[in-house]
Amino acid sequence: MPNAILDPTGRASAAPTSSRGPLAARRGDLAGLRVGLLDNTKHNAMLFLQEVGTLLVARHGAASVSIVETKASFSIPVDEDIVSRYKEACDVVVTGVGDCGSCSAAAVADGINFEHAGLPAAVVITDAFLTTGSMMAEVQGQPDYEWITTEHPMASLTPEEVRDRAERLLPQIVDSLARVAS
Amino acid sequence: MSTVQLDADTTQLTVEHLYAQGWSDGLPLVPATQPLVDRFLGVAGRAADEIIGHMPQVDRSVTVELAAINAAMAGCRPEYFPVVLAAWEALMNERAAKGGGWQSTSGPSPLIIVNGPIREELGLNSTGGVFGPGFRANATIARAIGLIVRNVFGVHPHELEQATQGLPGRWAICIGENEEDSPWEPLAAERGVVGNAVTTTLLRTCEYVDNRHTTDAEQLLSDFADTIGRSGSWIFRHAMAGIVFCPEHAQLLAAAGFSRKDVAAWIAERSGRTTDQLARAGKDSAAEGVRVPGDNAVPRSFQHTFAPGADAQMLVAVAGSRTAGISMVVRYFADWSGIPVAITTGATQ
Repeated sequence: MPNAILDPTGRASAAPTSSRGPLAARRGDLAGLRVGLLDNTKHNAMLFLQEVGTLLVARHGAASVSIVETKASFSIPVDEDIVSRYKEACDVVVTGVGDCGSCSAAAVADGINFEHAGLPAAVVITDAFLTTGSMMAEVQGQPDYEWITTEHPMASLTPEEVRDRAERLLPQIVDSLARVAS
Repeated sequence: MSTVQLDADTTQLTVEHLYAQGWSDGLPLVPATQPLVDRFLGVAGRAADEIIGHMPQVDRSVTVELAAINAAMAGCRPEYFPVVLAAWEALMNERAAKGGGWQSTSGPSPLIIVNGPIREELGLNSTGGVFGPGFRANATIARAIGLIVRNVFGVHPHELEQATQGLPGRWAICIGENEEDSPWEPLAAERGVVGNAVTTTLLRTCEYVDNRHTTDAEQLLSDFADTIGRSGSWIFRHAMAGIVFCPEHAQLLAAAGFSRKDVAAWIAERSGRTTDQLARAGKDSAAEGVRVPGDNAVPRSFQHTFAPGADAQMLVAVAGSRTAGISMVVRYFADWSGIPVAITTGATQ
């Protein structure tokens, strides 16, 4: 009997990642809801998120932007501490902007982690990182997870262009945070 | 062994099978079997299930045994395995590797530098063509690290790995320090670990400085300062670089009285560009950390490549042959720890 060839991944015997359960429930609108923003440190991300926050309050009746944090490490998904701070302080989360290899994957994992804590999340990633986002969604047990895609690059936009971008993506962000799943 | 009939046909089927599993980096792999992996574990003298790395992004962990399987597949001999483990441990100490390094658009490569008598024992090249191919130990130790990242962490190109272009020689840069022709103490010894040791960092690129006609130490160093100071590699307020000197350059500098620390201090003081030069590349302002176009307010002011005090973290090694004055500038992530890891084997524990 020849020796068996060993598996180098350590995952051969692992059960396929099962779905981690449903995403957070949506309410249909954003009236009176507190908005959390999570900046992933990438250039222009904070400006973009703050503009989105302002527009959600001004046009969609959100109560306020109630928590704004910057990730300590753009490449590491949010942990329970961060999720529970947001859970305490806000009702919906907008995060991004995924504009690099590791931060885009991490942003998808962030969105999924917020969802499982009951917080509807809108994740914005540039279109250069579709595949890595999908891979991370799969790793996180949420292969069908959807995020919002915008044109790459984001980092080289002027402040005016960033604000335009926020304006253009607003309908999708509102939809992502408020639309009741059919 | 002479009685064993080599079976090329089955070997070819095996090679194809390993490709079909998605385990290969593009080159053929050696099939790992338990008896082979047990020899790796025996040399290392470490518990097979000891966890030696974790990637929080995907929550996957590397054990000594998984590292051994990948090292065997990379073509390592069992006696190379302690070097793989030391290199891995040293990389896991680096913030850049623990963070998003393996997934990064920069597509960095570990630079693995080995010191000590183990270089001779393993046939690890430290002289001519040290950055190139031709030596099993150099090629397979570096490759083993790449296979661990690929297979255990599951970081595959185009998927979780998002290198825009990546580095030539990624997963292929493992060099011995040429201690015999170096005028200085071995690199790891100078950084606190005497004997067999690995020093490593996450490399952004290598670029040569070819200067074989000056005998003036400051002219030579000026050539390095110019290369290190160029704007193209600069994305944040500061950047980091080291030098792997050829023996000729190292000896010239040492003869002029330069220690490693002197070299680092000289380079740190003089590497950089004027604000005006940076403005031409749209990189003169670093007010928020990232370099962006600014207003070129003080055109003649000089901006230093290295952060103040960063010369202590400048990597200065010696490798290559005595055939010409050609050295390599090595660029790496700015927060390099600079801490070597001792290579240990089961026998010495």
